[in-house]
Amino acid sequence: MAKTATRYGGWAGKVLRVNLSTGKIWTEDTIEKYKDFLGGTGIGYKVMWDEVPPGTGPFDPANKIIFGVGPLAGTGAPCNGRTAITTLWPTCWPKPLVATGHMGGHFAAELKYAGYDAIVIEGKADHPVWLSIVDDRVEIKDARYLWGQGIRRTTVEICQELGPEAAVAAIGQAGENLVPMSVVINSISHSAGGVGAVMGSKNLKAIGVRGTGSVRIAGNKEEWEKLIKYHLSLLGANNQHVVPATPQPWAEYSSPGSRWVASRGKAWGAADPPLETGTCDPHDLNRIAYRTNNAAFYLGDLAWQYTVRGNGCTGCPIRCHTIIRVPSAAAKYGIPEVLQNTCAGLMFGRSFFKNFPDGPRGQTAIEACMVGMYLADDLGLWCNYGQLQRDFQKLYYEGIIKSKVGGDEYKRYSWDKYEKGDPTFLFELLPSIAYKKGELGTALGLGTGYLLERWGIPEEEWKRDHNLTYWKMGHPKHHSVEDAGQCGVIINTQYNRDVQVHSHTNFIRNGLPLEVQKRLAAELWGSPDAVDAPGNYTPMNVYKARMAKWTLLRKELHDSLSLCNWMGPWVASPLKERGYRGDDSIESLLYSLATGDRKTREELDQVAERIFLLHRALTIRDMGTKEMRTQHDTIPEWVFEDPSGKAPFTPGTNRMDRDDIRKAMDMYYEEMGWDKTTGAPTAEAYRRVGLGRVAEELGKKGLLP
Amino acid sequence: MNKQDKDYALVERALRLVGWNCSLSRRGFLKLTGSTALGLSALGVLAAKSGAATKKAALPFIIMEQAQGLVIGDPTRCLACRRCELACTEFNDGKAAPAMARIKVRRNLNFGPQGAYAGQRGQGSWGNGLVLQDLCKQCPHPVPCATACPNDAIVVKPPTNARVVDTKKCIGCKMCQRACPWGMMSFDPDTGKATKCFLCDGKPKCVEACPAEALRYVAWRDLTDKVPPRFVPTAVIPPEKAAACNQCHKR
Repeated sequence: MAKTATRYGGWAGKVLRVNLSTGKIWTEDTIEKYKDFLGGTGIGYKVMWDEVPPGTGPFDPANKIIFGVGPLAGTGAPCNGRTAITTLWPTCWPKPLVATGHMGGHFAAELKYAGYDAIVIEGKADHPVWLSIVDDRVEIKDARYLWGQGIRRTTVEICQELGPEAAVAAIGQAGENLVPMSVVINSISHSAGGVGAVMGSKNLKAIGVRGTGSVRIAGNKEEWEKLIKYHLSLLGANNQHVVPATPQPWAEYSSPGSRWVASRGKAWGAADPPLETGTCDPHDLNRIAYRTNNAAFYLGDLAWQYTVRGNGCTGCPIRCHTIIRVPSAAAKYGIPEVLQNTCAGLMFGRSFFKNFPDGPRGQTAIEACMVGMYLADDLGLWCNYGQLQRDFQKLYYEGIIKSKVGGDEYKRYSWDKYEKGDPTFLFELLPSIAYKKGELGTALGLGTGYLLERWGIPEEEWKRDHNLTYWKMGHPKHHSVEDAGQCGVIINTQYNRDVQVHSHTNFIRNGLPLEVQKRLAAELWGSPDAVDAPGNYTPMNVYKARMAKWTLLRKELHDSLSLCNWMGPWVASPLKERGYRGDDSIESLLYSLATGDRKTREELDQVAERIFLLHRALTIRDMGTKEMRTQHDTIPEWVFEDPSGKAPFTPGTNRMDRDDIRKAMDMYYEEMGWDKTTGAPTAEAYRRVGLGRVAEELGKKGLLP
Repeated sequence: MNKQDKDYALVERALRLVGWNCSLSRRGFLKLTGSTALGLSALGVLAAKSGAATKKAALPFIIMEQAQGLVIGDPTRCLACRRCELACTEFNDGKAAPAMARIKVRRNLNFGPQGAYAGQRGQGSWGNGLVLQDLCKQCPHPVPCATACPNDAIVVKPPTNARVVDTKKCIGCKMCQRACPWGMMSFDPDTGKATKCFLCDGKPKCVEACPAEALRYVAWRDLTDKVPPRFVPTAVIPPEKAAACNQCHKR
């Protein structure tokens, strides 16, 4: 039984440690050891810094994998369903470095109810195992009967043993076969990319968790209720879009790009009977869940008729995963007729194809989505934010696959079907990747960086291609210039995979008119000039650098508290009477009341900076260089080019100017208090956030500027 | 009409009101009213007041008042977010504890009431998407949880007349858990006491918390013969209660 042993609320109080080589299972006190790092990625980076020496490979038994959640996971704080998974990243090229994957679903909450803030797995089992956690009963169980099975069967069988309430995070055949482009998945469709094979390398098929305990709220329960309702009142739709996509009777503004797609006449057509989403006045907190339908947003209007309902994480009223029922896909392809996912996962299958017989948003495209979702979420394949599919299209249509893959193997694939947009092609391709079949399957499973290396293609070629949106180190951009100009560029230089950062885009793309955004930006970052309209950029200024810092710190804060950075921060709201203001202090208000550890917004941002700097320190230590500006924080060529030749800072282009970006990086490093020449944090920058020892260690290795 | 006849007429009227069709023997009535006449005339229905007097007379503790309200759920609207379970426990108990929530969604969330053996062919997120919200029926007489309680700790609480656990009397034996055919009794491991839906005194937190209007607070109606049971009750009714039941129910 989970006992709230600490004087703090929020935290479960224990970190579960498992050594799969020795079978040893023990716990650590969260507060004693990790409170300064909150949880989630904070605990992840701390363990990696303290315990995993530089030079360790992702598949070495010495690599550790940390499933971390935070003090808000499992509470009623909206959008708290994220588990952060930290480990050495197998697709990080040319050298695996620390990175994190993030999954939603019900795993995070269940882990808390079982009594843990994190699970740290090390070593390697000598045969396939799964980890069974039922409150304080933790066992390493034989998984030989599950090895070779898909994620769906694995989950169902473990639930038969632990009970239907269990949350199961499992890998598929891709992870077992050490395919770097593999995921771990819980709750059907909630995946964390890149880590499947790390689990596979440890012979760890799954973690099943069942918790019957609780998360204590330290503060007064009436105050907590008030705060939760306040937070709910500020929510928008998915990605905190605060304006509806189409004009609504209550709405002053609308914006076609918004994920707030509910409207009269738009119904969940496969609900029985169909259910209209309606106008969704933002003051009606009992209709928040109808605002978002990501199937309709990504797959087009056709998806409304297939929508059963929204689904998503524990405690989140924004149901960003959509359950769709497509009987024709079941009839034609022999797959289940009900499937679910969001965003890139929803489009996994469709994105491989350039053409469909009935267009990009027709019936065949939806069927391709169904087949792709079914296969990828069972085999446990990762798309690397769509890079896999973009790579595939380029490699095929430029004849590279034909030249690199042997004749017989090449002929085994039905390329005619592929070109026609026949979803059955996915039954040939996706299992090949998961089982490392042949040259094509093996190469595609490596991730972009290692694939290019294997096939002798210079990375520069990828960095020039506008359509690929490849950024660096084997990974694509994730909300960069197309959303937030220089701020987007800065952010995309900072991590060792595609950056899982949304603080900036959730503001820029919230649908409010530019003048309203500028008014809010002035309050948040000191000047209306912090933001531009996407595609109509102005030169760099210090306010943009401030916004970039804020963006990054909030990302780490969310990933450590277990708040969703795909939803937060909540600095804008749909409320006209508030002047569309949100509240920049929501995180600290929730944290303080839940844990009882009172912290202001500034104090909590400092903790976030500590966590972010530890990530930076890990990157520097493991790269063995302090020359981050030139060797790590790099920017692909396509950012500085425009396909139609438009000049930077002219309307209609996202093209950036080289000198301006140099200035942007200068300003960013300055804002962070780092050294501008190397882009490395100074000893003082580390000390300021309580990482004096980290600075000392780096100093001994000559890794301080 | 003498006083006893008046009482008798009152009880009959009360029973008709609640739709109780069993015939009441004169003897049973007399025995019953022996200790509850006061309650009867005060409340207008048969209300057992527990306490030393009742125990001394070894009379059954029964609940005759109907609840005034009820929470009902629409499974086609449920989005499996569990904000109801969280609101139930956080706002009432100061902790997020779905395992002791008085509305139960988690257990149906993945596979539906049939559980994991339904695999992908059942309900829930793994099946057809439907998520049943399991809710207390605020049962009419005989109230299974209250009847099974050896300590008469499940009592009626105005103004909603919800059947609620009197934590002062609850000894944590979990007999009520075994009695409810719908598995709606909860247990708080921190207090060692049973807990159940008490309708939040007329303003249910779960209803307020649902982001999809999937829950509604409505006038009470009898759902006990409309919702299939989840469990076979295995509680043993204390013998003195069982014997007393006969006094009213025998034909």
